[in-house]
Amino acid sequence: MDVKLHDIGEGMHEAEILHYFVKKGEPVKNDAPLVEIQTDKMTAELTAPSDGIIGDIKFELGEVVEVGTTILTITTDQKEPSPNLEPTVKASPSEASGGVATQPATRTLDRWLPMNRVMASPHTRRVARENDVNIKNVTGTGRAGRVLDEDIFAYIEAQTQAAPVAEEKSHQDEVVIQNSKEVDETVQTIPFKGRRKQIAKKMTQSLYTAPHVTHFDEVDMTELLHLKKQLKEGTTRQPGISISVAAFFIKALQLSLEEFPIFNSKLDEEKEEIYLESSYNIGLATGTDKGLIVPVLKNVENLSLVEIHEQMKTLTKKATENKLSGQDLRGGTFTISNVGPMGSTGATPILNYPETGLMAFHKTKKMPVVINDEIVIREMMNVTLTFDHRVADGSQSIAFTNKFIDYIEKPHLMLVELT
Amino acid sequence: MTTAVQVKKLTMVQAVTDAMRTMLEEDESVLVLGEDVGQNGGVFRATDGLFEQFGEERVIDTPLAESGIVGTSIGLAVNGFRPIAEMQFLGFIYPAFNQLMTHATRMRQRSMGRYTVPMVIRAPYGAGVKAPEIHSDSVEALFTHIPGLKVVIPSNAYDAKGLLIASIEDPDPVLFLEPMRCYRSSRTEVPDEKYSIELGKASYVKEGSDVTVMTWGAMVPDTVKAVEKFEKEHNATCDVIDLRTLYPLDKDTIAESVKKTGRVVIIHEAPSAGGVNGDIISVINDTSFFYLKAPIQKVTGFDTPVPVYSLEQEYLPSSEKIISALNTTLSY
Repeated sequence: MDVKLHDIGEGMHEAEILHYFVKKGEPVKNDAPLVEIQTDKMTAELTAPSDGIIGDIKFELGEVVEVGTTILTITTDQKEPSPNLEPTVKASPSEASGGVATQPATRTLDRWLPMNRVMASPHTRRVARENDVNIKNVTGTGRAGRVLDEDIFAYIEAQTQAAPVAEEKSHQDEVVIQNSKEVDETVQTIPFKGRRKQIAKKMTQSLYTAPHVTHFDEVDMTELLHLKKQLKEGTTRQPGISISVAAFFIKALQLSLEEFPIFNSKLDEEKEEIYLESSYNIGLATGTDKGLIVPVLKNVENLSLVEIHEQMKTLTKKATENKLSGQDLRGGTFTISNVGPMGSTGATPILNYPETGLMAFHKTKKMPVVINDEIVIREMMNVTLTFDHRVADGSQSIAFTNKFIDYIEKPHLMLVELT
Repeated sequence: MTTAVQVKKLTMVQAVTDAMRTMLEEDESVLVLGEDVGQNGGVFRATDGLFEQFGEERVIDTPLAESGIVGTSIGLAVNGFRPIAEMQFLGFIYPAFNQLMTHATRMRQRSMGRYTVPMVIRAPYGAGVKAPEIHSDSVEALFTHIPGLKVVIPSNAYDAKGLLIASIEDPDPVLFLEPMRCYRSSRTEVPDEKYSIELGKASYVKEGSDVTVMTWGAMVPDTVKAVEKFEKEHNATCDVIDLRTLYPLDKDTIAESVKKTGRVVIIHEAPSAGGVNGDIISVINDTSFFYLKAPIQKVTGFDTPVPVYSLEQEYLPSSEKIISALNTTLSY
C-alpha cells in the first residue's frame, strides 16, 4: 500500500519531510504516526492508513515532496511480526562491543526509540559535552549501539589525528584551534527552506506584483488609553474589563473599512475585477521563533471588542505554539502589524498579497503636541498604511487613515457604530 | 582516636543502654518510658538496670497503649523533659501514628517556634529474627514522609551510642530505629565516655571507586559481606555507604560518591514501592545525574508484608541478589 502525500486541506502542493517516526521493516499500527511534514505554513503528521510493515521509504529528510507522491509503502499482506521482541541481552558486553551487536537487539531497541536518538548514559553525554563533541556523530560500540565513554575518546582522537594540529598544547596550538573555530563559524549555514522560504517567496511575489505605497500619519492615543484605563477600573458594582489596544485598532479598522471598502478588496488581474470582500477578516502578523505567520481573525463585524480581544489572544498563542490549523490561516481580507510593543517608530511594510491594504501600528510615546496654540503632552503613535496603488490612490488612503484616526482619537465615535 | 579513652566491646543493644544511661546521668530532664521498660528491662533488655539505677520516677512503666506513650512523651517534652519512649516493636507504633503526625512534628510550626518537642521514640524493627507477624515490619519510609521527624538507624554499637545521644539532645522529635538483627550479632568497640554522631551524616563503611552501594540498618553487614565477595571475583572496588539518617538524607555524601563512581546500587529490606530508595534516587537526580554511567539498581524486599519466619530469608535481600545487581551495573 502506498502512503501518499495528500492535500491536508489548505490547497498546498508540496511539503518538506521533517522527520520519520518509523523505519523500514518495522511493524506499524493503524493510525500510528509515520512522518512529520512541513507545509508552507505548518507542520503536520501523516498517520498509517492500516496495520502493516513499513516497506520502502522513498525520500530523505529535508526533501520536498509534491502532493500525490508516494512517501513510503506499507506491506499489509505479511503476518504481524512474532512478539519475540524482548531486547536480546544474551550477548555479553564483550561480544556486543566493537560494533557487532546482534541485529535483533538493535532492531528491537530502535523500535522503541525515536529516530536519531542516541543511546548513551548521562555520564557519557557529559563527557561528550565537555569535549565539544556532538554525540550524534559518534558511533556507539556498546550493547545495541550504545555510545560509551571510550567511543567519545576514540572519536576525539580520530578527529585530532585528522586535523593538522600539533599534539601538545601550546599557545600556538590554541591559536590554531581558535582559528579553526572561526573558520567553522564563517561557513555556518542555515537551510533556506520551510516557512522561511515560504515567507521569502510570498514577500517577493507581493513586492514585485503590487506597486506598494506607504502612507504615514500620527495618532493621538491619549483618549483611547484613558478609556482603556477606565474600562479596566470598572465600577464599584462591576469589575473592570481588560481589553488590549490592538482590539480597538481592529474594531476601528473594520468600521473604517466599511466606509472605504476598496481597502478590503482583492484585485483579480486575469478577470480584470476588483473583488470587494463581504466580511472583515483581519490578519494578525505574528512573529514566532519559526518566522512570520498571519493567523486570521474572522468576521470582525460580528465581534464585540471583548470577543476580538479574546480571539486574538487565542490565535497568537496558537501561533507561538505552532498549533495553527489551515483554517486559522485562510480567508484574510486586510492585515495589521502591531509592532509598537517591540519599539518601532515607522516602517514600509509589504502587503500580505493579494490583499490591498496593511496597516502597521508603531510605538506609543509621550510627545509635546500643539493643541489650541498650547504645547501639551500627549500619547502619540505613528501609523503606516501600505496599499496596492493599482487598486487605491493616495487620497483614498489618506481619507481612510483619517477615518481610522478619528475613531482612535475619539473612541466614543465607535459607540454609535457598534452593532 | 580511641586510644586515649576507655573502650569496651559492646553489642548494639548494650550500646543503646549505655547511651541512655549516659544521658540519664548527665541530664535530669531525661526520662525513659514504655511497656515493661522498668523492672523488666524492656522486651530486648535495652533498659536493663536503668530502673534500679534511676528509680521509678525516671524509668517509667506504662500501660499497653502506644498512642498514650507517645502522647505523654509529647506533653513531657513540651514541658521541659527529654523523654525516650520505647515501642516494643516498630510494627506496634501504628496506634501512635496520629500523635506523631498531628502533634509531635507540628508543635514547632504550630507555636511559631515557641515550643519544640525534644523526644526520642526507640523502636526495634526488621526481619531476620524469626518474630511473628507485624513484629518484623520495616516501614521506615512511612516516617521519612512526616515533615519534622528525623529518622535515624544505626547499624553497629558505636554508631548506636553516638546517634542515640545526638537524638536525645536534638530539639525535635527523632524516631530511632534499632535493627533487631544487629542487637546481638556483633560487638564493636564503644568508648565509655559520652560522644555523639551528627544526625544527617552518612558514613563510609568502606571506600572504592567503581560502584556506590548505599544501605542502612541490618543490611549494612550483609551488604559488606556481599560486596567483599563481589570485589574478589571482579577487578572492582565499591564505596559502601551506611546512610544512618534516612531523614534528612546526607545529600552531600550521596552526591560525592556518585560523582566518583557513576554507578549506584541501593539496598534495603523494606518493600521497594514508596521506599526510601526513591528519595535517594531523587537526590542523585538533583545532584549528580550527569555522572551516572548506568541505571541505578536497587535490591529490596518484596512489595508484601514480611512473610512467616520460614520464608523470611527469601524475603530479605540475599548476597546473590546484591552481587547480581552489582554485576548488572558494572557490566552495563
